[in-house]
Amino acid sequence: MSIIMSAIKKLFGIVWSLMGIGIIPLVIMQAMKEIAAKPSEENWIFWSIVIVVLMPIIAFSLITFGVFALKGEYDVIE
Amino acid sequence: MAKNVADSGQIEEVSSTRRVIAASSVGTLIEWYDFYIFGTLAKIISEQFFPKDNPTAALLATLATFAAGFVVRPFGALFFGRLGDLIGRKYTFLVTLVIMGGSTFAIGLVPGYKTIGFFAPAIVFILRLLQGLALGGEYGGAATYVAEHSPDGQRGFWTSFIQTTATLGLFLALGVILIVRHTLSVPVFEDWGWRIPFIVSALLVGVSIFIRMKMSESPMFAKMKKEGKTSANPLAESFKQKDNLKMVLIALLGATAGQGVVWYTGQFYALSFLQNACNIEFEQSNTIILIALAVATPFFVVFGALSDKIGRKYIMMAGMLIAVLSYKPLYQMMYDSANLKNKTEVVESTTVETKEAVKDTDNVITTVTNKTFTDGTTYKETVKQTIPLDAAKKAELAAAGKLKPETKKSVILPQSLFYKMIGIVFIQVIFVTMVYGPIAAFLVEIFPTRIRYTSMSLPYHIGNGVFGGLVPLISTRLVEATRPAAGLPPADPLAGLMYPILIASVSFVIGMLYISNKTNNMDVE
Repeated sequence: MSIIMSAIKKLFGIVWSLMGIGIIPLVIMQAMKEIAAKPSEENWIFWSIVIVVLMPIIAFSLITFGVFALKGEYDVIE
Repeated sequence: MAKNVADSGQIEEVSSTRRVIAASSVGTLIEWYDFYIFGTLAKIISEQFFPKDNPTAALLATLATFAAGFVVRPFGALFFGRLGDLIGRKYTFLVTLVIMGGSTFAIGLVPGYKTIGFFAPAIVFILRLLQGLALGGEYGGAATYVAEHSPDGQRGFWTSFIQTTATLGLFLALGVILIVRHTLSVPVFEDWGWRIPFIVSALLVGVSIFIRMKMSESPMFAKMKKEGKTSANPLAESFKQKDNLKMVLIALLGATAGQGVVWYTGQFYALSFLQNACNIEFEQSNTIILIALAVATPFFVVFGALSDKIGRKYIMMAGMLIAVLSYKPLYQMMYDSANLKNKTEVVESTTVETKEAVKDTDNVITTVTNKTFTDGTTYKETVKQTIPLDAAKKAELAAAGKLKPETKKSVILPQSLFYKMIGIVFIQVIFVTMVYGPIAAFLVEIFPTRIRYTSMSLPYHIGNGVFGGLVPLISTRLVEATRPAAGLPPADPLAGLMYPILIASVSFVIGMLYISNKTNNMDVE
């Protein structure tokens, strides 16, 4: 595999990690804003699902994947 | 002579593989049927099991229950995946079938909210969770079982039959619902007839259990077990060992997450969009989806087989990319085709009929407006205003803003637009077949036999269950956010597409960068 491709994979590793980290405050702030504006049951249900289920999966998987990519774990994929 | 013996051996092998595929596919198809009838009847279920005061809340509550069914799928994947890697594929996916069938049958028997109050939604919720758990264990087992019976070089082709079951399950669910609804009348169907598709499941599951009981264990797993090489702790081996964990992550982020949203957008959001944004009548919208699914389903096998020749990666990635680029124009076309503002009304054919009746303690005024348009489209609007006879209660509801009329809109398209809609949905289902056809082969090939069931099930069910399963909930929410005020139409009916487009885009970039295009290698040990 070319050195350039390896560098691109590693560089994107930083992007995935930052995305994973960035999504946490973004989602929490949006949830707080919307629940404060309209504290209805449907708002609570929706944001609970997003914060408890979706956000941790996205954040954990992107951060871990990004770190692996940055370390060169995906330079050679069989 | 020797050639004849070799030929007969080959024929026997193909015939045996066909039997395995048929037996596995029937069971998986029925599990999908069970799972889908709940989602397809979401509106009726919300009226039966959740308080009716706020229809949007009731619908969202049902969607949340629907999502809960998807969210527990990864837990089912872990639980049954571990079991499948420890004791075997055959018995594990037999258990999942029994749990799924039992839960579905029971949902059909639960009394409504009016009869047993809060217990009704609580019981339905628990049964729905059980359905999710069972489905979480089923797919990985079936895909692994079939893959482990398939010869090298044909794994994409044979496993693609398992991939058709998810669509055929939806097809069967819609078909049974439409037949029952058509046979009974609409009011009878909405009163109790909706229970029939759930109860029918018992029969289908019974047949499937009988078929599966006769199946033998996967040859690869049986060999490993005989040699004492099975994993002692599949969960730890799958997710604590870096080499496996990194493959789980790449499978999730580079493949199943994008595949999941493309799948749910093409099959479910399309139906929801037809019914809620385009107001297409129930039967016509379901027929559009049914025909599109029927015509597109063989393409699962086409792309599965093609992936044996050119590799899994490029087919899946092409499906994601084309979907990302074309969703907005396709949905805009769907919206424009049904938008009454784009049509010319035949004013002289418009009829308005108002009826007033006393029902229990309320006065119910129903106004039905029928319109016809020059292109042949017909529109029916039913406005139902319920006003309490008791003046004090009426004043109380008026002050709380709860005297709003209930409006039902129903558009029936002429034949030309009906076929156009089928064409647009068909294109979306083709994207689904591209991303979903080769994915079972892709997943089974990146994990070793000793932990295959566990390792492939989790990314599959997170991708499909969580990322994909939340498409209806998140997309509905995104559209609702553009509604200027209650009762007014949303400013951007296509806003819901933002979620699948975003997830599929990220998945495409990750898949293109990090997934290799290998084919036909499966680690036996």
